[in-house]
Amino acid sequence: MGDLTLFILRLVFLAVLWVFVFIVVFALRSDLFGQRVRRLPATASAPFPTEPARPAATPRQNAVVASRLVITGGAKEGLQIDLPEEFLSIGRSSDSGLVIRDDYTSTNHARLLRTEKGWVLEDLDSTNGTLLDGSRVSSPTQVPLNTPITIGTTTFELRR
Amino acid sequence: MTSPTSSVVDAAPRPPLTGTIRLRLRAPSRLRNLELLLLLGACAINAAAILLVQLGAIGHPDWSLATLGIGLSVLVLAMHVALRVVASDADPFLLPIATVLNGLGIAMIYRLDLAKGFEGWDMASIRQIAWTSIALVLAIAVIVLLRNHRVLYRFRLTFALAGIVLLVIPVFFRPVNGANIWVQLGPFSFQPGEIGKIALAVFFAGFLVTARDSLSMIGRKVLWMTFPRARDLGPLLVVFAASMGVLVFQKDLGTALLYFGLFLVMLYVATGRSSWILLGLGLFLGGAFAASRVLSYVGGRIDAWLEPFARANYEGNGGSYQLVQGLFGLSNGGLTGTGLGLGRPDITPLAESDYIVASLGEELGLVGLFAILALYLLFVSRGFRIGFAGQDDFGRLLAVGLAFVVGLQVFIVIGGVTRVIPLTGLTTPFLAAGGSSLVANWMIVALLLRLSDSVRHQPRTVIE
Repeated sequence: MGDLTLFILRLVFLAVLWVFVFIVVFALRSDLFGQRVRRLPATASAPFPTEPARPAATPRQNAVVASRLVITGGAKEGLQIDLPEEFLSIGRSSDSGLVIRDDYTSTNHARLLRTEKGWVLEDLDSTNGTLLDGSRVSSPTQVPLNTPITIGTTTFELRR
Repeated sequence: MTSPTSSVVDAAPRPPLTGTIRLRLRAPSRLRNLELLLLLGACAINAAAILLVQLGAIGHPDWSLATLGIGLSVLVLAMHVALRVVASDADPFLLPIATVLNGLGIAMIYRLDLAKGFEGWDMASIRQIAWTSIALVLAIAVIVLLRNHRVLYRFRLTFALAGIVLLVIPVFFRPVNGANIWVQLGPFSFQPGEIGKIALAVFFAGFLVTARDSLSMIGRKVLWMTFPRARDLGPLLVVFAASMGVLVFQKDLGTALLYFGLFLVMLYVATGRSSWILLGLGLFLGGAFAASRVLSYVGGRIDAWLEPFARANYEGNGGSYQLVQGLFGLSNGGLTGTGLGLGRPDITPLAESDYIVASLGEELGLVGLFAILALYLLFVSRGFRIGFAGQDDFGRLLAVGLAFVVGLQVFIVIGGVTRVIPLTGLTTPFLAAGGSSLVANWMIVALLLRLSDSVRHQPRTVIE
């Protein structure tokens, strides 16, 4: 085995090692730099009939813990999902429990935490903020039932 | 818009809001296919490393290791298949990265065996391969048997007890190379502290989930930081005392540093208070200063670190001879290394365990060493990522703790070898020769895989 061959093999081996590193980095780039922003298609908002004359949230209802999340505005209006047992993360990242991909949502935007008193909404330093009943959430806030939460172009409510 | 989703229309009668649509999104096996691809690459890299070692050291390929290598590859692929079945959403990068690191370690240990002329079971590389297969089997067992990581939370006190027992056991056995961290039973020797770090990470995570509120909410504000109350300092002081106990009775600087650092970082992650880091670092610096004055072996390490080339340190017993040989090796390697099998890493004492990084640095050079560091960086960042995306606090803390303990161990060892910090005896995860370390680190891989699967494996909704 000539010295030159060994020399070339040595450099090739180092190159292959780095190629492996870069393949891994390339494969997880969406985790490092966030999901790519996708434009919302201008959908004619589907004519979902909204609940007629929704009962206003009364303090008594707060004692009941919400079990589902209903989307009341945005691309998926009318969709409802069951809330998980204790934790729901919301954001553009595909690891989130509720993935919202629009121009205004941060990779890890907000999360809902189940406490003994009900669900608590926490904004995770998102760029465009999280609105609870029209006002921006700055600290973890208790979410009453049937109160609109807005993230980007999506609005949802927690319901029983 | 939601192409891969399978909409399941709820059949149960509900108030006529609209048609109630529930979406369940299961990530396809894309992750596992990616893992398979990376694993095949990893096995190829490992085979190439062994082949290069043989070409460099003995001049011709020697197929005696081929069956063992194929056996290990089959085991790694078995783990991959197990993941496909029981954890199909697990992280696809951890297994290939650990495989490459483990394989590079085996290649370098084999190279040192060739230099020393060992044969058969005397070869550390054969034993390392045997340990790797044991570690892989155990990791597969963890993945298959542990379906829900929250079971660990229920057994947190058992893990605390196990951690303490594993820490204390070596005191009853004979010290090896000054440090009292080994258990020797006949021909087998084992470092229980390596397994102990997993048990303690589980316990710390469980403890901090329950105790977090009192540790993070209450306190007194000094300048811009909120300091905890004196009575909440208890846990930190207990762990500090335990670390100092390891330092004094087991004469093992690295393990003490590892446990204390692990607890401190998990405390910081759980509470989000920088004052804990400040308090912990204060305690640590105070303890380290006292130890360097009182304990002769700690003082010797620090002298060797500050003045490795001084004659008294270089020639002294337990001095800087090993450190300096490692540095000479690294400098001999230069940028691209001497080539596998072509350097003289065997001159350094313990070149196959504590100093494996110096050996690899000599033969793969700065370029290769940085590739290895990049692999560690990716491994640890995946662990943090799993913790960050986690849904329950216990899982989040555990993932961060396990990933950090690997990162800290790499820093302590490589920092010691490259003279960034005083040298302490810890094993380099996955690379260094040593069964207990391999078993512990592969278990960490299995736990992180399980955690990452439960992060991803839940019904998800995508709005776009």
